[in-house]
Amino acid sequence: MTPHFGLPEFGFLLRGLQWTVLLTLVAFVGGCTAGLIVALLRTCGRTTVEWIVRIYIGIFQGTPLLLQLFVVYYGLALLGLKLSAFVAVAIGFTVNASAFLGEIWRGAIQAVPRGQTEAAMALGLHYSARMRDIVLPQAIRIALPATIGYLVQLIKGTSLAAIVGFIELARAGQIVSNQTYQPLLVFGVVGAMYFILCWPLSWWGSRVEARLALAGQR
Amino acid sequence: MQDQILIEMKGVQKWYGGYQALRNVDLTVRRGEKIVLCGPSGSGKSTLIRCINRLEAIQQGSIVVNGHRLDDSIKAIDVVRQDVGMVFQSFNLFPHMTVLQNCMLAPIRARRIGKTEAEATARKYLERVRIGEQAEKYPAQLSGGQQQRVAIARALCMQPKVMLFDEPTSALDPEMVKEVLDTMIGLANDGMTMICVTHEMGFARQVADRVIFMAEGQIIEEGVPDAFFRNPQHARTKQFLGEILAHH
Repeated sequence: MTPHFGLPEFGFLLRGLQWTVLLTLVAFVGGCTAGLIVALLRTCGRTTVEWIVRIYIGIFQGTPLLLQLFVVYYGLALLGLKLSAFVAVAIGFTVNASAFLGEIWRGAIQAVPRGQTEAAMALGLHYSARMRDIVLPQAIRIALPATIGYLVQLIKGTSLAAIVGFIELARAGQIVSNQTYQPLLVFGVVGAMYFILCWPLSWWGSRVEARLALAGQR
Repeated sequence: MQDQILIEMKGVQKWYGGYQALRNVDLTVRRGEKIVLCGPSGSGKSTLIRCINRLEAIQQGSIVVNGHRLDDSIKAIDVVRQDVGMVFQSFNLFPHMTVLQNCMLAPIRARRIGKTEAEATARKYLERVRIGEQAEKYPAQLSGGQQQRVAIARALCMQPKVMLFDEPTSALDPEMVKEVLDTMIGLANDGMTMICVTHEMGFARQVADRVIFMAEGQIIEEGVPDAFFRNPQHARTKQFLGEILAHH
């Protein structure tokens, strides 16, 4: 007998949603941390370091995320490092996010007027104080809309984790759909869940952008 | 005291790639001296003062500030920047901080003094540039002239031995030039050592001990204001003064 879409199935989707949120959070926090390092190295002024980071960014932006997930999950297993599906995709998404966020923030750091750094240098502020107190607070504001936009992409992008057997929201939907033969209903619910997650973020992002544009006119 | 040498530049050469921005510049500044640097755009006057606090590196020659020789070491650059305050054409206030925070940051971070003391110093200098009542505002809420006065106060909070001014009134609306010049004159009268890149020849006449004329990266001529304006020696200086004074 084919089960109908009911509470147990809905609960299964909710657990998938949980994993989607958790994976997004881990990848975003990890990606932000590593991305900050990437952005700082990318703007450090040492040609060799900048080139190495440039290649790092190029590799992760220039190859499919799917491939990167395969490499982490199966590649590391071949090297004897057997990771659970969650840990593997968390690493994969984190590294990928670090490249994208690093590049977004590199642009933002460079968008802070040069005079800000010069004034800070003239006042005798060291690199760490210059970055922490002067450049990064301004760069973060510039980068916020793009960062929120990336977060929305990341939420939806986590569905790729299904490829190595990780059951997140999209994969959960597929499983329930196969069991109930009610794909329209199931994927409708799945879509609504993604939408509830992403739409407020997108809305917030465009508000921040509008506010920044306004501040820029002053 | 008056004759003590504060800045000594010898044989300074600077290139930007193939372009030579400074050619064999020698300059000695004594404590308390007020120097006005003028010259056509691209003559290297801004570059010259930006070398003094190492915003620009030099390729040849030597710069000694308050007895410390400026080289590539972070320590030397640090020591020199503590002694040298700078005011920029475009103010360069930190837009995400209030006026007060702008003035307190460097003393706290670079001089490592306490918050209370930093605030007292900041308020003192903000009063001195007559902008004390705006301390809690953000730079964008102030006029250009007010912002530039805050920038002067911010530099003074580090208690520099010398102040560098890089065309401090060039970005200002005409009605705001005077308030900034008055602040600078007050500073000069208090005995601050100053090097000012400016085209304000009235200011030069009033406060400068020496006026220096630069062209093509070289110091062409220098003298006390009276002689410099009345009787310039070089054709290049005459031409420049003719052009600039025609507008005033």
